[in-house]
Amino acid sequence: MRKLLVLTLLSLLVFASAALAQDESQLRITFSWDTDIDPAVGDDFSSSHALANIYDTLVFPNKDASVDAWVAESWELSDDFLTLTFNLRQGVLFHDGSELQASDVAYSFDRLRAVGEGYAYLMPDATVEAVDEYTVQFNLSQPDPFAVDKMIRLYIANEEVVRANYDMESDLYGEHGDYGRNFLLTNSAGSGPYEVTDYPLVGYLEMRRWDSWWNADNFHESAADVVTYVDTTEAATVRSLMLNDELEITDAWQSIEGLQALDAVDGIDVMAIPSMTSFYYMMNTRLAPLDDVHCRRALAYAYDYDQVVALEWPGTQTMIGPVPQSLGGHTSDLTIYGRDLDKAQAELAQCQYADNIADYPIDVHWISQVPFEEQFALLFQANMADIGVTVNVLSTPWGTVVENAANMETSPHIVTIYVSTDLPEAGLMLQQRYTSPTANTWQQNEWLLDEDLDSRITDALLTMDRDERFAKYAALQQEIADQSYSLFLYDQLEKHAFKTFVDWRPEENSRVMGYQIFAPFIGVDG
Amino acid sequence: MNFLNVEELQRLFLFLLRRIFQSIFVLFGLSILIFLLSRVLPGDPARMALGARAPQETIQRLRDEMHLDEPLLQQYQIWFTNALGGDLGDSLRTRRPVVDDIVEFLPASMELVLLAGVISAIGGITLGTLSARHKDSWIDNLVRVVSYMGVVTPAFVVAIIFLTFFTTAEFGLDLFPPIGRLSSGFEPPPRVTGLYTVDSLLAGQFDTFINALHHLILPSLALALGSLSQEARITRSTMSDNLTRDYIAAERALGIPEKTVTGKFLLKPSLIPTVSIFGLDFAANLSNAFLVEVIFNWPGISRYATTAMLYKDLNAIAAVILILGVTFIVVNILVDLVVGILDPRIRLRGARSD
Repeated sequence: MRKLLVLTLLSLLVFASAALAQDESQLRITFSWDTDIDPAVGDDFSSSHALANIYDTLVFPNKDASVDAWVAESWELSDDFLTLTFNLRQGVLFHDGSELQASDVAYSFDRLRAVGEGYAYLMPDATVEAVDEYTVQFNLSQPDPFAVDKMIRLYIANEEVVRANYDMESDLYGEHGDYGRNFLLTNSAGSGPYEVTDYPLVGYLEMRRWDSWWNADNFHESAADVVTYVDTTEAATVRSLMLNDELEITDAWQSIEGLQALDAVDGIDVMAIPSMTSFYYMMNTRLAPLDDVHCRRALAYAYDYDQVVALEWPGTQTMIGPVPQSLGGHTSDLTIYGRDLDKAQAELAQCQYADNIADYPIDVHWISQVPFEEQFALLFQANMADIGVTVNVLSTPWGTVVENAANMETSPHIVTIYVSTDLPEAGLMLQQRYTSPTANTWQQNEWLLDEDLDSRITDALLTMDRDERFAKYAALQQEIADQSYSLFLYDQLEKHAFKTFVDWRPEENSRVMGYQIFAPFIGVDG
Repeated sequence: MNFLNVEELQRLFLFLLRRIFQSIFVLFGLSILIFLLSRVLPGDPARMALGARAPQETIQRLRDEMHLDEPLLQQYQIWFTNALGGDLGDSLRTRRPVVDDIVEFLPASMELVLLAGVISAIGGITLGTLSARHKDSWIDNLVRVVSYMGVVTPAFVVAIIFLTFFTTAEFGLDLFPPIGRLSSGFEPPPRVTGLYTVDSLLAGQFDTFINALHHLILPSLALALGSLSQEARITRSTMSDNLTRDYIAAERALGIPEKTVTGKFLLKPSLIPTVSIFGLDFAANLSNAFLVEVIFNWPGISRYATTAMLYKDLNAIAAVILILGVTFIVVNILVDLVVGILDPRIRLRGARSD
């Protein structure tokens, strides 16, 4: 009798729990948390994806490393390059049914600058004013060739809704109270294709399709009714969810082995998308023996890049020069280092430390939280032994890496880091990797502090003519490659396992972070 | 229950008072320790919270807000004064009061740990009793093997095994949902306790109760297995020991039924060490549930605390450690009370020491 009772209860649990029919189509994607859905706060991988789906922007990044008209139908730049005017589309509705107007754009820009987080750092130095209901004008402090492109990160929020939800008990932003931060932590105020319906901060983020989206005609014919971001990257959990048909696309952090195992399952494929991220070995050029260019080149010629990419997902390509190949303005016309022990020995012979190189062991710090990096460090150690260079491989937590990077004295010989850029232009990667303002951050272990290089990179970035700008980028890439400030390992492929019934074509989207998994363009006819 | 006379109630009151008084010092020491330890972790908390590219003035504003540039003693003083007023500060990660986070995440873990506690108590005592009564039989041997495996297998390994075998059709046993507290389509019940099973019953939402329970079983079992095994071994060992005592032989000789001998005279005194271990396990599960919570995507306090550590979320770390400290203390006081009920000698000794 007891057994019968237990069995009955168990059956009841299974069937009652599964009884809820899922009439709505779903797109479920795992992400590495945290996910910040406040448009003035979020800027990481999952947040950028969420914001792109919840909020509209003036312009939209396309696959050609440029931007298309979006909420802005058109724009003009004054002859002195200092006034940028956007003409807005009429009839764009926020999720509460009110119309998006120029004042909302101006408010969102001011709010982003005041909060100072998220993509605030990317915004052009400008003031903004709503000229009329559908015209918004940015007054730039200096010419900025990327001013329009940067607007892909100005997520337009509903001013009325945000103002109505100010916490005036907070004095963080003066008359704006908390600027609606507490409200926007778990709620949305956008006009994008999906609206937040449930967000308990951890666990999941649920968004529902906004059928009155101004661009609803371009929804994929089987775009999901509900999009859920699931807060896990745990391999066993992700695998179970995939096998149990409770997940359509995995996060980008699954191991090669995990992806291969999923790839072997019927109905699951792996998508590898070129990204704007590259894997660098950043060499501290202030530390012997890496302060000698010949020693740096010796290392560059001794590393086996073919073996490096063989450890990665098939199709991964070695970097050519200091920026990812997917960026506009990248050049292949530069010094390319491949494993060549003769050249490595020849360079080493010219290095001032050649006679006692054994006295200069090189510390390589890889990030403890990314265990995958260790194998590259061990390969490096083995390769360098071939030219008599001793390498110490050290696992270092990310917090320590960031702390070490703050001072020249504590920055190690080499630290291994993936770096991505915000906009698809080579100059921006050069700026964040090799100019002085980033020298005390994790983005630059090289400590170049080269004023001449700074001014030339800045000059290139301020060049309004595209061809001229790209030519300047090419010269800079050649010089940086020639000086071998870093070892250029590979351009990262962003890898996701996905259900084959999902009609997902990321190659037709921009490579800018947040737009690879743009839900309205994905079909889930499964 | 022979605890109801006035004298014993007075003793109980004094006992509780003394333990609470001692606990204040323990918590105070704990707060200093965790405050210092969390600040020696590498990395600037403001920079870690705002990201590598946040402007310096934004970072500085957050540092000012958090008083991070003040001397350590002054920082502690500010934190302690605010904490006494119930303000544990804001979390750097979730950007809201830590108290709100605790209210949000603690019930999820409590629900998990409570069910795990029930499973381990019932399972452990039952298996231990069975094992002792059938000492050296195949039952005893089987329970021993299972218990050893349970003790040495970490909860997260059990969780992965459960997830692999009982949530997917791959092995034909997709009996349980793999993640979360409720299936998609179910609304959380109106919040009273934060425990979905309890709240759904209070709201009369039987469907939600079944669904919440269904989600709860697998992670609770994974979490319970270690303590269940430990309690089974301890119950078995104490019972076997007591079985050889003269008073048991005397009771049997007097013709008292075996069920009464086992239930009333053997099990009760044998449970004392089990209850003590159970108390420690119960409180430890709250902090040890991290990987189980990660694997089952369970929005609990253990996962919150571990992520807080990685992000150097100072206020969250301090608050959670204090909560865990309070839980340990409360559970241990309860354990002492239960042990007192089970063993009159301890009660009387306690009374004499008063």
